[in-house]
Amino acid sequence: MNSLVVANVKQRPLRTALSMAGVALGVILVVLVAGLVRGVSRDTTQRQMNVDSELRVYIDNVNIASGANPLQMPRRYADAIKNGVQPTPEYPDITPRPPVAGVKEVTPVGLWVQNSVGGIGFETVEGIDWESLTKTTGLHIIEGRPINDSRQPEPEFEVIVDRYYTEVNKGLDGKPVRIGSTITALNREFTVVGIYEPSVMSRIKIPLYTMQELTGGADIADNCSFLMVKCERPELADEVRETIKKYYPGLKVIRTDEIPALYSQGLVGLDIFLNVVIAVSVIISTMIILLAMYTTIIERTREIGILKGLGASKPFIVWAIEKEATLISALGVAVGFLISVAGKYFIEASTRLRIDLEWRWLLLGAGMGLVCGLAGALYPAIRAANLDPVEAISYE
Amino acid sequence: MESVLETIKLEMVYRVGKVDVPALRGVDLQAGAGEYVAIMGPSGCGKSTFLHIVGGMLQPTAGQVMIDGEDLTRMTDSQRTDLRRRKIGFVFQRFNLFPTLSAEGNLKLAERIHHKSNGSDSKRRRDLLRLLKLEDKIHHKPLEMSGGEQQRVALARAVINRPAILLADEPTGNLDSENSQIVLDMLRDLNKEFGQTIVMITHNPEAALRADRIIEMRDGHVVGSRRNQ
Repeated sequence: MNSLVVANVKQRPLRTALSMAGVALGVILVVLVAGLVRGVSRDTTQRQMNVDSELRVYIDNVNIASGANPLQMPRRYADAIKNGVQPTPEYPDITPRPPVAGVKEVTPVGLWVQNSVGGIGFETVEGIDWESLTKTTGLHIIEGRPINDSRQPEPEFEVIVDRYYTEVNKGLDGKPVRIGSTITALNREFTVVGIYEPSVMSRIKIPLYTMQELTGGADIADNCSFLMVKCERPELADEVRETIKKYYPGLKVIRTDEIPALYSQGLVGLDIFLNVVIAVSVIISTMIILLAMYTTIIERTREIGILKGLGASKPFIVWAIEKEATLISALGVAVGFLISVAGKYFIEASTRLRIDLEWRWLLLGAGMGLVCGLAGALYPAIRAANLDPVEAISYE
Repeated sequence: MESVLETIKLEMVYRVGKVDVPALRGVDLQAGAGEYVAIMGPSGCGKSTFLHIVGGMLQPTAGQVMIDGEDLTRMTDSQRTDLRRRKIGFVFQRFNLFPTLSAEGNLKLAERIHHKSNGSDSKRRRDLLRLLKLEDKIHHKPLEMSGGEQQRVALARAVINRPAILLADEPTGNLDSENSQIVLDMLRDLNKEFGQTIVMITHNPEAALRADRIIEMRDGHVVGSRRNQ
């Protein structure tokens, strides 16, 4: 019977190819989308964690897990936490606060989301204060120089990027990014002046002042998205957090090591999206196999009649058709895997997205492809098994 | 002679719309073990219906069909399929080989359906193909063979599992006279050498003369039976 199955699959190469493509499409959807979601979230979380600061401070009611927040937080909170605050002629009603004990450094960070290169996905650009950032992250320049704070008149906008960015991206001149390359950020051309290590948060960093100027000017003058707080000793983190909350009740303070959990909360929506993708893939693959096998059965009505004439039982006929569908599905799964792997390298090479091809999703994709093949072929197989042998054998 | 096939008052009525069309009207017939029976009659006399019923592919309206001691009419659909697999071989007018399989592949498939693993009876396959003068066509597909060769492969497939009865429905209907003679010779050889019981439907008087006995049918009745010399 195996030779009959193989012969039938080879007999109609176009239909076999289309059926395989249907299964492969489902596998690709599951494997690549899951890999994309996991890859991007893991990469982002890892970079968010890759800092020395123990705390992050946000204004209340922001969605931390969303990855990026507008410039809503006054930068002066950084000075207030580090140095304390006193009433000034400008703010005479301010309640005096002492410096928060145990704080070594505070740095403001601005975040801006833009479309990724290649048009797939998005990427964040960070506005930083270089001096204070280096004291909270361990970040250092490995090539070129740091960015200026842009407050002096500059001939061009400056940006620093991490090593990974230079390895997978090209500048506006089409060549790999290097010192002196120009790239686009906030719809402007920026010149790469330095390459830094380690990868910390966003890969593209520009001066916070430049970000403020380009995104809102006077409306968000001297605002940032959040603060990073470096404590004098890591074990002081909880104490510092409580003090900040006490002095500034309108702020939300989280520990850096809580970030993965917060991102996981943000991934709940992505999990729903993934489940929808899987459901769509299952429907597509099943329908394509069902239609392909159904047309096969109609075309081979006479042959099924012959099988019945030879005494083939219903289970024998069902199994013969299911084996054919399984073979097509297995080939489709293999093609799907190959295209997924190729797609991973293509997407990673042409965008800044990362894709993790996990065994779990590969197995799920394979299982889904095979189950869809079996399920899609079941109705045509049962229909074939129940054909009237005399009518089937006389079928023209 | 021990009876391998026996029908008793076999009736078959087709329902066409609201009209009952009788195809068989009480057919009593017997075929002994090793007997070669030809059934003749005009189109529409019920020959093919008779063959499909004794082959277990149709359930009669009334009457009884005994195949090698088993009552076909008391069986379920799956039991009839099982009996067809064990005891009946079919040869069709249009050969009905699997076009994607070679001559040997068609035989192997029949063996597989008969619950034998592939290649279990390769000697019998070779002997049979030699007897049918097909040893050089073993790897050929149907479209690479003449009509006569295809029908001989179909014949080999029908008897590969040693059925109690071989049912042949106009086996020479699609062949020229030369190939018809070859196929009829083969049927005769199978009958003589292996003692194969054969029931053959034919319009061809010359073909019928090769059988041991000729049964005449008309309007769903058996109207005559005579032995050939």
